[in-house]
Amino acid sequence: MAGQHNNIYKPLRATLEEVIEESPLIKTFVLIPDEEFIFKTGQFIELSVDGVGEAPFTPSSSPLVSDRLEVTVMKTGYVTGIMHELKPGAVMGVRGPYGRGYPVKEFQGKEVLILGGGCGLAPIRSLLFTLEHMKEDLEKVILCYGSKTPADCIYKPLFSRLNSIDKFEAYRIVDVTDDEWDGPVGVATKLLDSVKVNINNSVAVVCGPPIMMKFGTIRLLEMGYRDDQIYLSMEKNMSCGLGKCGHCMMGEFFVCKDGPVFTYNEIKHSPEIWK
Amino acid sequence: MYYISIKKEDWHRSLEKLLASHDIFVPVKDEYSIDYEHFNLNHADRIAYNTPKPASPLKNFFLPVRENVSSFNGKAGPRIIIGVPNCDVEGLGLLDEIYLDEDFTDPFYRERRRGTLIIASDCYSVNEHCHCTSYGVKPYATEKADIALLSEGDEIFLRVISERGRDFAGQLNGARPVEENGKMLFAEKRHADTEALLAGINENLPDYKTTGTLVLKAGKEIWKKYASRCVSCGACTTICPTCSCFLLIDRPDFEKVKQVDACQYPGFERVAGGEDALFTLPDRFRNRYLCKYVWRPQKFKSIACTGCGRCIEACIGKISKNELFMELI
Repeated sequence: MAGQHNNIYKPLRATLEEVIEESPLIKTFVLIPDEEFIFKTGQFIELSVDGVGEAPFTPSSSPLVSDRLEVTVMKTGYVTGIMHELKPGAVMGVRGPYGRGYPVKEFQGKEVLILGGGCGLAPIRSLLFTLEHMKEDLEKVILCYGSKTPADCIYKPLFSRLNSIDKFEAYRIVDVTDDEWDGPVGVATKLLDSVKVNINNSVAVVCGPPIMMKFGTIRLLEMGYRDDQIYLSMEKNMSCGLGKCGHCMMGEFFVCKDGPVFTYNEIKHSPEIWK
Repeated sequence: MYYISIKKEDWHRSLEKLLASHDIFVPVKDEYSIDYEHFNLNHADRIAYNTPKPASPLKNFFLPVRENVSSFNGKAGPRIIIGVPNCDVEGLGLLDEIYLDEDFTDPFYRERRRGTLIIASDCYSVNEHCHCTSYGVKPYATEKADIALLSEGDEIFLRVISERGRDFAGQLNGARPVEENGKMLFAEKRHADTEALLAGINENLPDYKTTGTLVLKAGKEIWKKYASRCVSCGACTTICPTCSCFLLIDRPDFEKVKQVDACQYPGFERVAGGEDALFTLPDRFRNRYLCKYVWRPQKFKSIACTGCGRCIEACIGKISKNELFMELI
């Protein structure tokens, strides 16, 4: 735990270096932490605005970089609304990293199929950096990403870059088209219909809004994925991040500490996992 | 474990001496209830030894309702809490698992635990809603506390449980060993009598192994029925010796304030986008039962309901979880 020394509740300070507008509602905050910040891909942090509040986010940057941290934030509620007003130079608070990230070692030798939607591409981007770093040990990486409109797609340059990397394929779809869009239209899961994947030697990763997680999982199961081959990044109200405050309880799990990444097999019996 | 005895007068004088270096709390009876107060030799006659639970759960000593957790300054205590019923002592098990979790130890809780000597008290009688034995909890402590106390006439008997209890007992002026080969027949009789009382008032109450299955099997109607009298006041969670959920509140200069929270309050699980898995009152009401009787038993070794019955006494809607369980059988 960087910066927290003997007090688990104390945030590390980080200076906002740059704010990148990804879409009308989504910004990426580039932070320089006061101390080296080490995390594993898929783990999350509690990012705070001084005196206002904090919220959980999975960093969207590479876990191989420890002196800067990128966090992609959708303007959704009170805290994120104020975050979106912040300018470079602002000091923010960072607690973490928390939870269990993606078990990337278990992905070795496999094809990785990733289904993402909306701001769910943020943790996935961090995962993609990690997978790129270990691509020699992977068979294939396929990203299927859906956004509401073409303008709502975040990290647009990422897609052409991924398609230029050996073993990587990236596909986009939009719910609602515009004049310039000439790609497929529909929900993200539709992209799964045309991917070529050896399911027996594959894992699937799903991250996005709850509705997409639900139907994405159902579709993957229909395709033949086993429950334990599907990795879900769950979202709950995570207040402490430490497995104590109780807000993120989902069945017998504290999503913050036991997750946020679970296999579908681990949580399928939990009530209301898609809520 | 072994027993020592000390004259009540000497016991109280010893406590008076210890006040110079310790905070000492004892259960004191007034016309309304019994609750912890600072020890005061002049009011020693008001100390309620061996009565069932004080109004406040033991957790209040370790998890304040609200505290600034921004800076940690080291030690807490030393203090002695006397007269803790075993339902509360057992409740510490779950709190320890959560707050002393080695991945993320809460330093405030840890230092309060380290700085506190717990002197339990064997229950000689029961309250209307006491049902510890139904959940496998004895009305007397044999672990987790440092010492357990029995008051008999002018004499105080101390059952020494922990190493720390042994150190404490060694400092008491006038204390002497009890020579009955470690067997205290009167204590055993006290225990048996209280257990018989508990068995009598809780006949047929489902045990802790059964409650989880009953909660899972229960249909929507029963939650609606009982929740219709619930006003989401959170009294049940506030008074519960094992409920310990909280909220972290931000203050300027990145200060964090940790404040008691509860799944019974609206918005407990609400996320920024507005989704709220516990939006309806029956869902929140049911959540507490799922948490205590299904999820925490799956996740933790320690019991999440010790049968103290305080939630029943505290409920302004007169909701009795025991009635609910009896209806579920």
